[in-house]
Amino acid sequence: MEILGQFRREGLGRRENRRLGLIFLMALSFSMVLFSLFGARASVFEKAREALLDISEPVLSVLGSPIRWVDARFGDLSDYINVLDENKRLREENAELRAWMHEAITLQRQLDYFRGVLGVELPEPADYVDALVIGEVDTPFQRSMILNAGASQGIENGFAVVQDAGMVGHVVTTGKSASRILLLTDPSSRTPVVVEGAELEAILVGRSRGRPALTFFATRDPEGLAVGQRVVTSGAGGVLPRGIPIGEVTNISDDGVRVKLFANYAGTDFVRVVKYHFQPDLTQVEENDVDEAPQANDEADDEGGDE
Amino acid sequence: MSELAQDRRWLALTPTLMAIAGVVLLLLPLRLFGGYVPTPIIPLAVIFFWSLYEPDLIPYPIVFLIGLLQDFLTGGTVGVWASVYLFSQWLILQQRKYFLGREQHVVWLGFSITVVVISIIIWLEQSLLTRTLLPYTASLWQWVVTIAIYPLLSIAFSFLHKRAIMEEE
Repeated sequence: MEILGQFRREGLGRRENRRLGLIFLMALSFSMVLFSLFGARASVFEKAREALLDISEPVLSVLGSPIRWVDARFGDLSDYINVLDENKRLREENAELRAWMHEAITLQRQLDYFRGVLGVELPEPADYVDALVIGEVDTPFQRSMILNAGASQGIENGFAVVQDAGMVGHVVTTGKSASRILLLTDPSSRTPVVVEGAELEAILVGRSRGRPALTFFATRDPEGLAVGQRVVTSGAGGVLPRGIPIGEVTNISDDGVRVKLFANYAGTDFVRVVKYHFQPDLTQVEENDVDEAPQANDEADDEGGDE
Repeated sequence: MSELAQDRRWLALTPTLMAIAGVVLLLLPLRLFGGYVPTPIIPLAVIFFWSLYEPDLIPYPIVFLIGLLQDFLTGGTVGVWASVYLFSQWLILQQRKYFLGREQHVVWLGFSITVVVISIIIWLEQSLLTRTLLPYTASLWQWVVTIAIYPLLSIAFSFLHKRAIMEEE
């Protein structure tokens, strides 16, 4: 006679223990997913991520150097093969750029003159931190890079990261000596942008390996949108500065509007982190207006408090 | 004798170390063939091979920790890869009897089926997490590369596996 399943108990060997272990661990990982979904970002996990980032920084730096060496040799080889075509192309580009340079100098003079006339006070130019890309996460649906600069170089979460051609992404995790940037192509990346020419505000949404898409606000029809228009950061929300070049509109269809990024991820070895804070501009206004307009000062104070 | 025992302990760590190396490879800017070929997901191949031929060397807690390490290092949602790797190991252990002693191309087919199942789970999980229906094809190429590289990996693993077995006997 079986009492309280005693015969079944005998069958509880190593196999059953393993099965229980699996169920426990599966439950643990799913609860971790749920916890990350509903928990705040500044959780235990975030601390663990920062710590692991710092630990992995020297490892990735050491392991990455032979890769960079091999890449450079391959680069040399292709440069050698394409040297004639490349030289012709560069000469043409140089001539074009010279014309642009003279135009830019003329425009800069004009701008300085008008600024002088109007008495415009410009915000301080943004500071930059140069960093080396030591890691590039390559798993399905995740697009991020690891830089060899972190909080000790003054990097904070939210800072924009640019390359010579355009924006790459923004900082999401900051360790002491390393940081992680979420690329514009990551499916969870959302960047407030403006389409130049059409003057349309939109959100750039990452699409993993595909080109990022533009999402427009429902209240406005995307009129005047054309292929080839430049997309830059809009600065809405105050996290990113305005006017960082991102890409150009390439495809307008029923599926949506797609943007071809200026940044070339496969060739990104060095990047620049833009140290930008929205706050200092407000405090500058407060200081300047303190004598003339006390009311305006109060308002500015309130806004500052809300930030 | 004690030297042999020490050797054996190191060899028992082989699959764990290989999987960790696979995770690190996913982090390095390899950019194979000018960035056109994504890095294969080697930890999955490690878990598949060793769960099939020597499951004692890669117990569930180790698989869980490998997945967790990948989650933390890739900066994704914690628990996604841990659950996926655990599930794939469970899947393989269920079919172990069928695949043991089969020809390598049958095992390869088994790995391909595992990869297809895992790719669908990852796609669904990430779509839920980002609350948008992601294009499944975005990660297709990486899974194809993972399947394509398996025969090469399996030759390397079976060499290591033979060594581990010989030391044990």
